Amino acid sequence: MKTTRREFAIGTAASAAASAFSFPCPAIAQTEPIRIGWLAALTGASSAPAIGFDRGVRYAAETINATGGVKGRKIEVTTRDTQGDPTKAVNATQEMISQLKVHAVWGPTNSGESLAITPIMARAKMPNIHPCVIDSLIDPEKFPNAFRTSPSNTQWNDAVRTYCIKVLKVKKVAVIADTTGYGVAAAKYSTEALKKDGADVVYVANIDATQPDMTPDMLRAKNAGAEAIVVWSTSTGMDARMFNTRATMRWDVAFVGHPSMSSGEIKSLLEKPANWEKVYAVGYRSCSYDANGKLPPRNEEFVAQLKGKVELSDTLLWWVAGGVDAINLIAKAVENGSTSPDDIIKYWNSVKKFPGYFGDYTWSPTEHNGYPGDDVVMSDASSAKNGAFKLAPGYS
Amino acid sequence: MLASIIASGLAVGAVYALIGVTYNTMFSASRVMSFTAGQLGMLGGVFGSLFVLRLGLPLVVGLVLMLVCCAIVGLITEFIAVRPVLKSLDQHLYVLSTLALALMIQQVVAVEWSTEPQAFPRVFGTGAGGILDEKFWLPVLTCAVTICALELLYRRTLTGLSFLAIAEDNFAARALGLPERNLRMASYALAGMIGGLAGFSGGQLLLAFVANGPLLNFYGFVPVALGGLGNNRGAIVGGFALGLFQQAANFLVGGIFSSVAVFMLFIAVLLAAPRGLFGGHLARRV
Repeated sequence: MKTTRREFAIGTAASAAASAFSFPCPAIAQTEPIRIGWLAALTGASSAPAIGFDRGVRYAAETINATGGVKGRKIEVTTRDTQGDPTKAVNATQEMISQLKVHAVWGPTNSGESLAITPIMARAKMPNIHPCVIDSLIDPEKFPNAFRTSPSNTQWNDAVRTYCIKVLKVKKVAVIADTTGYGVAAAKYSTEALKKDGADVVYVANIDATQPDMTPDMLRAKNAGAEAIVVWSTSTGMDARMFNTRATMRWDVAFVGHPSMSSGEIKSLLEKPANWEKVYAVGYRSCSYDANGKLPPRNEEFVAQLKGKVELSDTLLWWVAGGVDAINLIAKAVENGSTSPDDIIKYWNSVKKFPGYFGDYTWSPTEHNGYPGDDVVMSDASSAKNGAFKLAPGYS
Repeated sequence: MLASIIASGLAVGAVYALIGVTYNTMFSASRVMSFTAGQLGMLGGVFGSLFVLRLGLPLVVGLVLMLVCCAIVGLITEFIAVRPVLKSLDQHLYVLSTLALALMIQQVVAVEWSTEPQAFPRVFGTGAGGILDEKFWLPVLTCAVTICALELLYRRTLTGLSFLAIAEDNFAARALGLPERNLRMASYALAGMIGGLAGFSGGQLLLAFVANGPLLNFYGFVPVALGGLGNNRGAIVGGFALGLFQQAANFLVGGIFSSVAVFMLFIAVLLAAPRGLFGGHLARRV
């Protein structure tokens, strides 16, 4: 029998249509891996948190896959190093949405990048969880797909303010921040909130983080009668210089503020280890040692599980725990529904006290800040052990 | 307060002055304002910390290695960023080429070293913490020794006189048979060492920090502009004046306003004396 070109073309089109519409697609969908995009600033400035988070991400994905995955589906994490650059983060986000077709995105890990990519994710309705602190990144109306796993700036501020006024019981406070956009905004907000709560803000300054001598500002704060200094800066150099200057001035004022004051980098910049005493940095109850040197039971067990598998000595426990929680939150959403964006977002909107290692997360359709504010505490900045800190004096 | 202003003002002023001399040394040999001067200062601190603290080498060995490395960076500047644009100086392409190299140095240090400030070793271990701390007087001493050494080099040695000859009149010096290219390279190596010394002597004050590069680039340029381009004495006076003024402004009006005060002084001086306080009069051929 002779086959004409027209018959061949019609036959080919028919079989193509049959393969497209008749084969059981759901079967493929239920065996394909769960694709998670991970936007991580693994190199460049501000890479330390992402390196810690990444250890948690890998550990969680390996653990889930080793036990058979989620409903038989493996977790597949695709990482893109954004180098802390918003432009690179935008490119990586576009790639994840249009080419890699990931089911959910974890990250980025700093607010500058997140400000750039959050509207893009929202337009694509991409389920996104991130640990960035800037308040405006979370808005369930504008960004119904975006959920925060870390505290917001406001929660950090609340913890610092409460510690100064209620625990240290100081009346006169100085607020010192760096000259970055973050530092200026944080100092302004912190000053207003302290005043609102009845504290007397006797001195406010924004200092260039490269300023070699901190004596002028410290002297002004002392002369103004400050009983505690609230610090908002990510610069460890500026922190260390202030601690050294305080010692030179023989002034025993307490420093309370940004988590960078507990960074391991500070140790080598101090003239004496004692200069790091009476420094209280923002920390988390889940990753803090109590008076007996014990973590909360869940994390005591978690650290034991990580031993020999994940290095904790050069990072922070909350970063690793946050990475594990992110993967577990996505896996749980798929387990309770599917990999469709609507199902993932619907699950996250219904989460109540999800038992994570970093915290117990609660989200709702109108509140996407998931971290419990009461768990933001102050830590003794110089007490790092396995990436966790002692609770600052005054907590039980 | 006055003692603190003087101690830290003179110390940072000495570092600025040395960076100003670095600018001038490169400028004299090539008529090029190389924006790698501040990066050389930053590298002095980073190499010092790397060799002495991280690699655990003796201080003197670390100092010598730092000088060698900074001299090499100076030579690379001449070879990559200066030599190719010398024929078209009037187009000011050196601004782009030296800025590009400065940015490359900055990025390499950020990736390979750290973006966070690192500790710098104590040199003599004297006067911990007070205004007599070595971190305050070491840059001043280094600046004084460097100036004396440069004066000896320029006034008492044939090589130094050759440097002055090419700085004075490049074409005439070449016509007399002086090896202009070799002298230019030597000048850049020398500038590298002076910049490195600035960062090394100020290391305890500024720390081994990648962000010091742009900072020193700017604050090192101010004394050059104030003192007159190519004038080392002007750069020294301008550097110390800048350091003292900046520290006084820090104490009196606060950190964020001290930069504004410095800029205002800078603009006011340039309005009053466009060629700098110590700059010569411009001769115009008629």
